[in-house]
Amino acid sequence: MADASQSTTIDPRRQQIGAVYAKALLGAAEKAGQTDAVVEELQSLIVDVLDKLPQLQAALSSPRIGHEEKAALIDRAFSGRMSDVLLRFLKVLSQHGRLDCLRAIAAAAQKQLNELQGRVEVWVTTAAPLSNPLRELIVKRLSALLGQEVVLKAQLDAEMVGGLVVRIGDTVFDGSVSSRLVQMRQAAVDKAATRFRQSLERFAVSS
Amino acid sequence: MKFNAGEIASVIEQEITHYESQLDVREVGTVLEVGDGIARVYGLSGCMSGEMVQFPSGVIGVAFNLEENSVGVIILGGYLEIEEGDEVKALGRLLSVPVGEAVIGRVLDPLGNPLDGKGPVNTSERRAVEMIAPGIAGRQPVREPLQTGIKAIDAMTPIGRGQRELIIGDRKTGKTTIAIDTIINQKHSGVKCFYVAIGLKESSVANTIRVLQEHGAMEYTTVILAGASAPAPLQFYAAYAGTAMAEHFTYGGQHALIVYDDLSKQAQAYRELSLLMRRPPGREAYPGDVFYAHSRLLERSVKLSNELGGGSLTSLPIIETLEGEVSAYIPTNVISITDGQIYLQPDLFFKGVRPAMNVGISVSRVGGAAQIKAMKDREVAGGLRLALAAFRELEAFAQLGTDLDAATQARLDRGYRMVELLKQSQYQPMEVVDQAIAIFAANKGGLDDVPVTQVSAFEKAFLQYMRDVKGQLRSTIAEKKELPADLKEQLLAAITEFKRGWKPAAK
Repeated sequence: MADASQSTTIDPRRQQIGAVYAKALLGAAEKAGQTDAVVEELQSLIVDVLDKLPQLQAALSSPRIGHEEKAALIDRAFSGRMSDVLLRFLKVLSQHGRLDCLRAIAAAAQKQLNELQGRVEVWVTTAAPLSNPLRELIVKRLSALLGQEVVLKAQLDAEMVGGLVVRIGDTVFDGSVSSRLVQMRQAAVDKAATRFRQSLERFAVSS
Repeated sequence: MKFNAGEIASVIEQEITHYESQLDVREVGTVLEVGDGIARVYGLSGCMSGEMVQFPSGVIGVAFNLEENSVGVIILGGYLEIEEGDEVKALGRLLSVPVGEAVIGRVLDPLGNPLDGKGPVNTSERRAVEMIAPGIAGRQPVREPLQTGIKAIDAMTPIGRGQRELIIGDRKTGKTTIAIDTIINQKHSGVKCFYVAIGLKESSVANTIRVLQEHGAMEYTTVILAGASAPAPLQFYAAYAGTAMAEHFTYGGQHALIVYDDLSKQAQAYRELSLLMRRPPGREAYPGDVFYAHSRLLERSVKLSNELGGGSLTSLPIIETLEGEVSAYIPTNVISITDGQIYLQPDLFFKGVRPAMNVGISVSRVGGAAQIKAMKDREVAGGLRLALAAFRELEAFAQLGTDLDAATQARLDRGYRMVELLKQSQYQPMEVVDQAIAIFAANKGGLDDVPVTQVSAFEKAFLQYMRDVKGQLRSTIAEKKELPADLKEQLLAAITEFKRGWKPAAK
């Protein structure tokens, strides 16, 4: 499923690899009984470490640095600071030369965990920031409709003027003012054009 | 015509007041990459093969390749405004074109948009571009002739309504001319004509349209144009779009004729698309399903059963060969699909035999069922093919320079005159009665004492004589559509009578 708000470019090849590794990671974490913790750690690794230290990200992704060096680097940096499962997983990735797919793996792991736990990600786009009560109301309504726990992701887009756009997976429910205006214009033009065709003489000025 | 702005405004106002807003629910994806008329789209997880999608610029695309992680979309229109990251919307519909009486006399692009500057196509009826051909229960054998008005074709490779007759030959051998002549000859037959120009120079299409207009043929003809500058997807879909427009009449119990000019360019457009989509190339780099692309198109030509209205769709696909190479991939494919072929040869063309049809290898697998009885008669066109084949054998032998006996010389002489008689200038289709009378006259030795150079003048004068003086006899033959013994005798008498008064023009 595409995420409308994904800031990074979409790379289907990495996403495919990511899905496979994520499945393996979740399996290993489940055996250790710490699925939630591992996925949370992985997210934190991306957001709190890699995003802030681009050099580290570059070093880990670089094919010029060998597995031994990367493994040593991972040991020095993370040993004792993260769960054993994730640490070993990072080393396996390093061995397979797949550390460049780490972000895709993290996204896929989060998605798969959501699916396992019956949660669904919903992107909501509004023209103005959502207030907390409104946010809760939307989550409550959507959960009731979908029969699943809803994880709300909010986005802002001033160009849509007003209303609400909800995106679940690849399906968009568009209730924005801007798209309604476009629809209205199209409908008016289409219907008027049909009526012109049906009775052209009504609109002609007899000269 | 002037328009009343106030009236128009009031209609739009009404529409707006009665407008009920509906929640717009759509299936979307994101453009990953775009170029060369194709786009790769991420998402669109529920999209089906052949479904229409829309880009933000309003351009339409068709889902062509469904892959594990992306959807390959072919873009029907300008792809320069599409950018990476654009939202693509699935429309949940199949590609369709406007159909009905309103398309007749128009020049349209493969999506049904007008190209002739005569305003919008005024119809609300649409028909899916890709349709499955009717099965065996919906068909019946071809039984009515479709007169091309060309002597050589109507006599030796007759075409029936619902047949698919391939016109094949090198460049500049008169392939398009045969198709145009056939369209011109449908003037009083009520057959609706569709000319699909694929990958042709727009200047030559403009010329074709002008010829059709001059002969009053645009009144019942539609031109579907995807010229050489049109993107490959449009060139590929043009043939199917034209067929959909023609099928509307077929399924309405009428008769239609469609010319695909030409299918080799369409195959090349399909090859381009497939290679861009990274489908594996096969022979001559064409994709594996290029045969299916042509067979599913030509299978739609049909003579419908009486329960379905008995309409018909006749098709004349054109294939251009290179240096007479008929054993290339696309020509053999299309030859095996069609019900016969008209093979045109450059050497005949330059010898002045026009139409430059090679009688020996041109066939029509429908045969006599597509001829009127007068034409099928053994003394008219019945034995013509074999007689001409025998003549050519004899001619080759005579070139050795041996002395010939009188009987052989006589057969040669008649052969020369027959070849001369079958020549016909372009855009001058002939009525089938005239064709039968002329061929009968030649078969019965009426031309034997006419100098070879005078054959066409004799034919012209004789047919004029038949029309003016023997109008009664001519219209009887036209009415009965057969040639019983008594009519033959009257015809022979007319030939003798005419020759008494006819002198070859002095040089």
